[in-house]
Amino acid sequence: MAEAAVQTKEPLFGKKERKLLIDPLNDNNPITVQVLGICSALAVTTLVFKALVMSIAVVFVCAFANLFTSLLRNSIPKQVRMIAQLVIIASLVTIVELVLKALNYPVYKELSVFIGLIITNCIVMGRLEAFAMANKPWRSFLDGIGNGLGYGLILIVVAILREIFGKGTLMAGSPVEMKLIGPNNEAEDIVYLINTAAESGIGSYFSWYANNNLMVLPASAMFVIGVLIWIQRSWNRKLVDIS
Amino acid sequence: MHSTRQIYTFVLMMTTVVALVLAGLFTLLKGIHQKNEAVFTKRAILASVMPKEVKGMSDDDVISLFQSKVKQTVVDVNGNVISQDEVKKRRSIGAKPGLAEDLDLAKEKKQSDENRLFPLFEYETSEGKVFITAVRGSGLWDEIWGYVALKSDLNTVVGVSFDHKAETPGLGAEIKDNPAFPAQFKGKTIYNDGEYTSIYVRKGGAKNTKYEVDGISGATITGDGVAAMMYDGLKYYEPVFQKIKEGKLK
Amino acid sequence: MEALSLFIKAAFVENMVLAYFLGMCSYLAVSKSVKTAFGLGLAVIFVLGITMPINWVINEYLLSENGLFQTDLTFLRFILFIAVIASMVQLVEMIIEKMSPSLYNSLGIFLPLITVNCAILGGSLFMVSREYNFSDSVVFGLGSGFGWFLAIIAIAAIREKIRYSAVPPGLRGLGMAFILTGLMGVAFMSLMGLIGN
Repeated sequence: MAEAAVQTKEPLFGKKERKLLIDPLNDNNPITVQVLGICSALAVTTLVFKALVMSIAVVFVCAFANLFTSLLRNSIPKQVRMIAQLVIIASLVTIVELVLKALNYPVYKELSVFIGLIITNCIVMGRLEAFAMANKPWRSFLDGIGNGLGYGLILIVVAILREIFGKGTLMAGSPVEMKLIGPNNEAEDIVYLINTAAESGIGSYFSWYANNNLMVLPASAMFVIGVLIWIQRSWNRKLVDIS
Repeated sequence: MHSTRQIYTFVLMMTTVVALVLAGLFTLLKGIHQKNEAVFTKRAILASVMPKEVKGMSDDDVISLFQSKVKQTVVDVNGNVISQDEVKKRRSIGAKPGLAEDLDLAKEKKQSDENRLFPLFEYETSEGKVFITAVRGSGLWDEIWGYVALKSDLNTVVGVSFDHKAETPGLGAEIKDNPAFPAQFKGKTIYNDGEYTSIYVRKGGAKNTKYEVDGISGATITGDGVAAMMYDGLKYYEPVFQKIKEGKLK
Repeated sequence: MEALSLFIKAAFVENMVLAYFLGMCSYLAVSKSVKTAFGLGLAVIFVLGITMPINWVINEYLLSENGLFQTDLTFLRFILFIAVIASMVQLVEMIIEKMSPSLYNSLGIFLPLITVNCAILGGSLFMVSREYNFSDSVVFGLGSGFGWFLAIIAIAAIREKIRYSAVPPGLRGLGMAFILTGLMGVAFMSLMGLIGN
């Protein structure tokens, strides 16, 4: 109780709190630095819209799991700590699944098992162990949002690259779908020639571009993330692996 | 340190709270989930006739169009019509009315031929009646399925819509993701020179323009799966087609 | 024969790591030496092989509409699945501690990580979405466990070698591991032909 009294004297959103939000975006990014939560990062990055939905779900789960765990941190018995944390995460993920199924059924279908796999997204579990078990609710909540956003940032950057070069579109499947490069498949009488620069591309600027199928394959996400890590570490020298 | 009793109380309280919250949310959203599922199926069926229009339609538009323009029939392998009551008796479909759209096609595929039920949709358009059939087969990884719309001559394809469970994105998944693939089926005929040919997906490019379409490079097995599905799937409907042609359906 | 082909499919063609990229966290964290990778791989085979059938029974007889309670309890699926996995991991932890203290020491903190290994939960969720029957789920569990084992051994061996190569500083370690996994994934794609119908 004494702790709570001290907390109210601190600013609600000071320097430390901002650091909690900003740090995970670069210096302490969950994917490229902490190496957590990569599993689901790859399967959902074929389309930006899917990645966006996934990021929102992870931010939600991460923030609230941190909040609830932090609230309960003094009453969770040590012996059942892990199970208790998992139950919190699994229920939040179930909520996400039920809500998404009601809001956007096609996306729910597309994401299928990967929504469930947020449970085993190590970011969530990792933050609970490393942060929420030892910190106050408000800070834990911010830490959750920060890490969720750091994860989402990488996810969306990877998805943008994969979707543009793999499909020539942006935000396909959402109401604001755009066709950026490559032959326009929607054209009524187009001859079906995949992997061939079709001359009949109507309505897009770079119609000579042939979709790069490698970018759609799951493996390409590994290459893209690998290169992103390379870029990040060349620019942020302190992250270089010395071992 | 917590005593054993405290642990039990904690676990019990936590489970109760979680179960209540989830059960509440589940019951609350169940109606919307069921509606979404039904609309999803209806969209897939209509997409075989008008893939582009159906994308822009709202859920309510889809439901009302389906109600006013689409006639649903359930048939068996011999082309006999199965009534709604009969469907309800033979399948556990809960409170659903036993229409063609209520059939669980994945489960139907596992039935023996004699027991299997097939949906048939008749859609009234300005250019005449369109018959929509359902086909199901296997791709590279898992099941693939689709709806095939035929003109009233029961020979010319108006359009198809495909879906799949787990084909490779960028390769096999293109049967659904790339609108140009299903678009090729338009105008092909399933009977050629008096013989049932169905529609063949040819690797490396169609040879016979009457009943062949181009395969997707890099997705040979999915393409073969589509071809097999089109052949076997439409063959099941042959007795029904015969009855419709003779005016004997019903 | 059916079982063998499912095993091969699960281990090679639909490899959890190289085709679906599941279980990457521990795969990247524990693949610095072959020895620890070997132990973790074995533990994953065991946990996958044992949790899949248990989860199958739970899903079929407790949660489904035709199960014990005659109601649709699928919204409890995630919680029950993860609870089964967590308790099985605990069991494995105790067994390893008893049987091989040295392995226990070297695996140390990574054992609890198996609980949050996406491959384990992913296996159970795939099993549900693909409607496997009981024997399929056993074979699929063992097969995908074996596939995971193979993948982590392979990457650990490569990483041990590559330590002596001149890799650009920014790519050293993690970055290289990602790119290598991607390359292995592309190579494994060619095994697709194995299951051609």
